[in-house]
Amino acid sequence: MNPTASSPCPPFVARQITKRYDQHVALKDFSLEVPAGRVVGLLGRNGAGKTTLLNIAAGLVLPTSGESFTFGIPGANLDSPQLTRLGVVQQEGRCIEWMTVRQHLDFNASFYPGWDRELEKRLVAALEVDPARKIVQLSTGDRQKVNILLGVCHRPELLLLDEPMSALDPIVRARLLDQLLERLREDGCTVVISSHILDDVEKIVDWIVGIDQGELVEDRAFDELQESYAEWTLISPHGSLPASFSEPYILSHQGDERQALLRVHTRDAGAAGRLAASVQAEIRVRPLNLEEMFPLITSSRRKA
Amino acid sequence: MPPLLVIDHHNGVPAYRQIMDQIKLQIATGVLAAGAEMPSTRTLSADLALNPMTISKAYSLLEHDGALERRRGQTLVVRAVKDAEGRSARLELLRTQFAAAASLARQLDIPKDEAIRIFKASLDETQS
Repeated sequence: MNPTASSPCPPFVARQITKRYDQHVALKDFSLEVPAGRVVGLLGRNGAGKTTLLNIAAGLVLPTSGESFTFGIPGANLDSPQLTRLGVVQQEGRCIEWMTVRQHLDFNASFYPGWDRELEKRLVAALEVDPARKIVQLSTGDRQKVNILLGVCHRPELLLLDEPMSALDPIVRARLLDQLLERLREDGCTVVISSHILDDVEKIVDWIVGIDQGELVEDRAFDELQESYAEWTLISPHGSLPASFSEPYILSHQGDERQALLRVHTRDAGAAGRLAASVQAEIRVRPLNLEEMFPLITSSRRKA
Repeated sequence: MPPLLVIDHHNGVPAYRQIMDQIKLQIATGVLAAGAEMPSTRTLSADLALNPMTISKAYSLLEHDGALERRRGQTLVVRAVKDAEGRSARLELLRTQFAAAASLARQLDIPKDEAIRIFKASLDETQS
């Protein structure tokens, strides 16, 4: 039921990884541990280093310095026994162009003892893929679906997904999420997913890792983040609000002496009440969704 | 019938919190009676399209709060509570709503006795 229980080491560990491409530093002194069963949403702006991190986890790229371990094995030494436990869906994954989808599925299945034909059939139906078509004829969205099939049907223990659904329509995305949730229930697999479609990410992740300019800026349970970021509206009919606030947990402030909109980061449940009392105002507290948190999470280093 | 839960993924409230609040409200209003069986983590995770970890977190916190209890085997059921305990849970729910209304009354500069009069009138209104 839970194959990851047999492996005592976390599926992925990065220790002080730096990755340079010529002058460009893609990852800088980056450390992260992803324990078994966790579903990580990898957040960052374009070029932040998400793809590099996923490629290092997949053993496709080696760090310039530092160490990475996938299933406890250093990235450079990953070979077939470990690679069959790994599922990788790249943003623009390469396929063999002249094959039909059917042929490609059979080709990949021949490498994996655990290839699940039943799961393949369900996914082909859910994602609406036509197995008779040639890869070369496929649209961007259909290619993405094939990449998902090729990355998932062997029921990997660690699933690395890099923008896996950017070209899929909302109906197919919803079905893909259902299928991913089923993998979580059936296999208890570990997932790291990078996606800018935060609406979707929000539904399945239980952990958020934030990257900004190659550096780790957040590594926290999603619940905890939701409960620590908020928007506060201060209202003072008498115009008693100050021009600025000095509280360190206030990340942004706009407004005047009668009303103010604050974005805050605090887990102190009493903080809102105390601030309101100190400036003689009424306060309304509203939690932020992931899309609203995104700029606050991915730029916290520069702010501090 | 299993509890009818609706999760809003966009309001920023953690999903486990939404599950807890809705189940507590359904218990307080009697929609879920003592002894009512909760769906399994797997079933609810599939129904709500949520990570199973989210469901287990909500369930274990509800168990910790005394709203649910585990019966022989693994079945989670609504715990029977004493009248006083149920009453204080119901009052707590009402108090939360009042705090928001009280804040609005102060913003609108409505005197206390007038606010109380308005609430009394609302209580007397017969439901259509």
